[in-house]
Amino acid sequence: MTKLFERRLIPADSPGAVASTTALALFAAMAVTAIFFLYYGASPVQAYFGLFHEPFGTLRGFGYSLVRAAPLALVALGTIVSWRSGFYYLGFEGCFIMGAAAAGWLSLLTAPGALLGPVPLAIFLPLVILFSLTVGGLWAGLVAFIRVRLGGNEVLISLMSNYVARFFLQYLVSGPLRAPGSLPESPLLPRDTWLPFILPGTRGHAGILIAVAAALFVWVLLEKLPLGYELVVTGFNPVAARYAGIEVDRRMVFAGFFAGGLGALAGMVEALGSQHRLMDGISGSMGFVGIIVALLSRLNPLAVIPVALIYGGMSVGADAMQRRASIPSSITFILESLAVLLVLASDILRFYKPNFSALRLSKLRASGGEDSA
Amino acid sequence: MKHTLEMKNIVKRFPGVIANDHASLTIHAGEIHALLGENGAGKSTLMQILYGFHSMDSGDIFIDGKRIQLSSPKDAIALGIGMVHQEFMLVPTFSVVENIVLGLGQGAGPMLDLPKASSKTRELSDRFGMAVDPSAKVGSLPMGVRQRVEILKLLYQDARLLILDEPTSVLTSGEKDRLFAVLRELRKSGRSIVIVTHKLNEIMELADRVTVMRDGLVLGTKSIQSTSQQELAQLMVGRDVNLHAVKPEACFGDPVLRVEQCVIDEGGIEKVHAVSFEVRAGEIFGIAGVDGNGQSELVEAILHLRKIKSGRVFLAGTDVTHMSVAAHRAKGISYVPADRRGVGSVAEMTIADNAVLGLQRRYTRGLFRNMRDSRSSAQQLTERFGIRGAGIDSAAGKLSGGNLQKLILGREITSGASLLIVEQPTRGLDVGAVESIWKELLRARQQGKAVLLISAEMEELLNLADRIAVLFDGRIMSVFDAPFESVDRIGLLMAGIASSPGSTSVASQETERDQTL
Amino acid sequence: MNGHTILVSAFIVAWLSASLRLAGPVLLAALGETFAERSGILNVGIEGTILLGALVSFLSSYRTGLIWTSLFVATAAGVAVNLFLAWMYVSVRASQVITGLVFNVFALGLATTVYRLVLAESAAPESLAVFQPLRMPVIGRIPYLGPVIFGQTAPFYLTLVLAAIAQFVLYRTYFGLAIRATGENPAAADAAGISVHRMRYWGTLLSGAGAGMAGGYLVLAQVGMFRETIVAGQGFIALAIVIFGRWNPLKATLAALVFGACDALQLSLQIFANRVPPQLLLALPYIVTILAISGLFGRAVPPAALMKPYVKD
Repeated sequence: MTKLFERRLIPADSPGAVASTTALALFAAMAVTAIFFLYYGASPVQAYFGLFHEPFGTLRGFGYSLVRAAPLALVALGTIVSWRSGFYYLGFEGCFIMGAAAAGWLSLLTAPGALLGPVPLAIFLPLVILFSLTVGGLWAGLVAFIRVRLGGNEVLISLMSNYVARFFLQYLVSGPLRAPGSLPESPLLPRDTWLPFILPGTRGHAGILIAVAAALFVWVLLEKLPLGYELVVTGFNPVAARYAGIEVDRRMVFAGFFAGGLGALAGMVEALGSQHRLMDGISGSMGFVGIIVALLSRLNPLAVIPVALIYGGMSVGADAMQRRASIPSSITFILESLAVLLVLASDILRFYKPNFSALRLSKLRASGGEDSA
Repeated sequence: MKHTLEMKNIVKRFPGVIANDHASLTIHAGEIHALLGENGAGKSTLMQILYGFHSMDSGDIFIDGKRIQLSSPKDAIALGIGMVHQEFMLVPTFSVVENIVLGLGQGAGPMLDLPKASSKTRELSDRFGMAVDPSAKVGSLPMGVRQRVEILKLLYQDARLLILDEPTSVLTSGEKDRLFAVLRELRKSGRSIVIVTHKLNEIMELADRVTVMRDGLVLGTKSIQSTSQQELAQLMVGRDVNLHAVKPEACFGDPVLRVEQCVIDEGGIEKVHAVSFEVRAGEIFGIAGVDGNGQSELVEAILHLRKIKSGRVFLAGTDVTHMSVAAHRAKGISYVPADRRGVGSVAEMTIADNAVLGLQRRYTRGLFRNMRDSRSSAQQLTERFGIRGAGIDSAAGKLSGGNLQKLILGREITSGASLLIVEQPTRGLDVGAVESIWKELLRARQQGKAVLLISAEMEELLNLADRIAVLFDGRIMSVFDAPFESVDRIGLLMAGIASSPGSTSVASQETERDQTL
Repeated sequence: MNGHTILVSAFIVAWLSASLRLAGPVLLAALGETFAERSGILNVGIEGTILLGALVSFLSSYRTGLIWTSLFVATAAGVAVNLFLAWMYVSVRASQVITGLVFNVFALGLATTVYRLVLAESAAPESLAVFQPLRMPVIGRIPYLGPVIFGQTAPFYLTLVLAAIAQFVLYRTYFGLAIRATGENPAAADAAGISVHRMRYWGTLLSGAGAGMAGGYLVLAQVGMFRETIVAGQGFIALAIVIFGRWNPLKATLAALVFGACDALQLSLQIFANRVPPQLLLALPYIVTILAISGLFGRAVPPAALMKPYVKD
């Protein structure tokens, strides 16, 4: 009996094949998540509509989608730079937190009566960007250094470092940076240091522009700069890179530095653009969801923009859903992660080719017809 | 019981090549049978079929006249056939006895009985003169002892026919003598041994009969007494030269590359012993030798991808021994590696991007990559070198072997370097591709480049090189000038036999330099 | 005895006791993961598996009140989810780190959603049926050490027994030999007739069992309740313990005890040092782990084929 599916040696990689298996995976993810909607007594169609309507159908909601998307995009860009260079860094939660802490600290220094006193935004903004980049860069660059010099496993070390960063922030907001009162959080950051709002009628702020600029910059880096070329070769094939004269170790440390800076920028954007204060949990798992955004963008910096927007929008929609229908917002975690898992799994489908002639044959047999094989 | 193994009319095809072309072979019990041939002759494939690793397309295998079916190595071992590969299938962190027990399967029970296995191992090793400590960690053992472990694995499971693939390629000469002693003991016990090799002196010393293969065909089987090294060398190496390159007049310039007393070691074993040579501008200097005689180590050292224990490398008079890889390239060395898919190119990147691999800093305009120039350079390469199969924006991994090699070679030739190092440039390529590559190498020579050509293909060297140095066991045996009249001598040297008439094998001329075990 | 001595000895006893108690779950997960990594699979998903095991054990104990059954169900749940992970790692040959990481996010989403669902139906239980510390006659009464060593909960002793069994299986049985070969040189294992795929499935499922049981341990024998943040990186710490313990169950036990001691330190020190920020002590286990696996104290040599997919050609 001929099989309905033959196994290929090399997976089909035409755009049509990739698109169809990806679509299948996404549909499956939505179907599974729908089960949870049902459990809550909501019709999946209504629920999905509710999930996407607020963030993409209303102006104010769209503004929030952009606001949520910006830090996700920055983390995703950091992921892309480091992973494409072969440096599997997972410490973006930590970079995010450190970047937020750095920005918050600097911002509080400019409060009236504080060390620096009020500083015009035009001076403060470049300063805080530089500072966050440096703090995040060192945070991740240290891990890269450990990997390159001591051979430490960057996957685990970076995961551990996330917890260290979290505790550090907890310490800051319970102690040195604590606002008077009983809540462990910093005082409201000085208004002059807030990222300006750029979309009237919404809370969309300049962080969105920073994210878009970063996406373009990363694209230019990887596609148009010789340094980016060397990073990419190092990621694909370190042996060939070495033979081509590329200093693999140095490139990897650079990648770590750069990626950490982007992760920290995400924290800065969240702290100075949205939250306007420091508190425990400021990262809200964006350090991980951002990685997921990068994966779904297939590590392409330009694709990050739409994917981050979708994921940002989903988180806005989930909050709305929780408010209105009491469906927990954590359902979006299920949808977001399942989407990636099934897309990864769907790659195996491209190893199989449907055997159309066998299909026809079995149809003929089923209908009682004679086959003329 | 006497066993005879017969392989009849074995045919095996791989994409694009007939590895075994109606090959037939008979092996008697209690004999040591050598299977002789160059790289690509088909001997390894034939043995892998016998051992159950590959399936044959057609043909029969008989033991004592009875047809047998081999669909996996397990079938082979059950019938008493075992193989020791060139790359040992051992777990380095396990002890000797653990490695042996690994192959037994659950049949011996779920619990390990290492003491019992140890004593049986000791028994076997004593009986055949192989001293092995069953509890030693394999990773700490020298190659010669590891090989014994591989042999013991087979004997433990009652193998009657042992196949050894290039067994002496990883041994020192002392270890080799000990191996031969063991093999003779095994022969005495009635077992058969097949050694797959290219080393003539060892065949003459050890084997009873020898079968010569070339290009997938079995040329014949002879008993050792009835033949000589010269005859075997001729059979193995000599052929109708069906490709003939037209080589223009030579015009040599100053030496571009000079290697002085280069010694390279790895893990305590010297891979390259005090090698010195020079390559002049406008010359193709060939290094002949079968894989594993120190070629890759030498090349890596010249490029500074590997440390040199002592000795120096000069490029146009400058001492480049300790310069970085990038600096080497900047000074004018270009390199076409033997592994075109794994090292010479990045399969996932486009052809356009591969065309500037190693040269990315040169194709810049200001801070940015000059995409226009690098793409046009890729386009020019495609046209000039006849690279077909995909546009410059498709992945390099899609190119066939020949086209990929043209891309890499083209890139290195047009990089403006004064020294071009090429390693096994036409391995695995069809005749058409070989012709193009040869043409390009000769053109580079014509343009005044110094070319260091490392190859295991006699035909290639004879057609292209102005001088040929034979590398055997990490030493340069001799250097020949064109025209090459004594092809047989070159062949003998490649197989390790010294050139002076009336001399015995190289092994006896070497001093014992390794410690006893 | 003066008041100071009493205080110090009370501190030490509390610290030791907490060390052992906290080491349990992490050791369980590490034991399972040791088998996975020995076969060549790095299962980052144990963090999420522990969470799911915790959730399942909570639900089971909530509904049935049976503690041993709940522990078993948690273990089974761990195996079940790791069937999917094993398929991804071995058959789909997806990137192990990525799959495990994304799975952790999925597990967090799933656990949070289901827990909220349960809470929506009925209020959080005030108390849960949990394991009580053992009370051994005579030896349990030895001053100071008695309660520490002989007053732990049953799952702790079970964990120690499992550690011994793991050591035995890994080094004294053919199965253990085959798994180790698969992780060191899959080609050699294949040549010896061992199915590399099957061994790696086994390894992953065993890590799932360990992680699932660890989740049950956390809820039923340590915290006594379920929280979404109950795991807090202990799965990753288990990964570090495997490295720290050089992929050896006995050494992993020692490493887990060290980790437990660090973790317990911050609980106990809070009584004493109120000048040291508590967060520093909370971060201590993670900092120590980073130092341990940084390579500063010698490079740990992992199984040679770890994270390398095996393709038969």
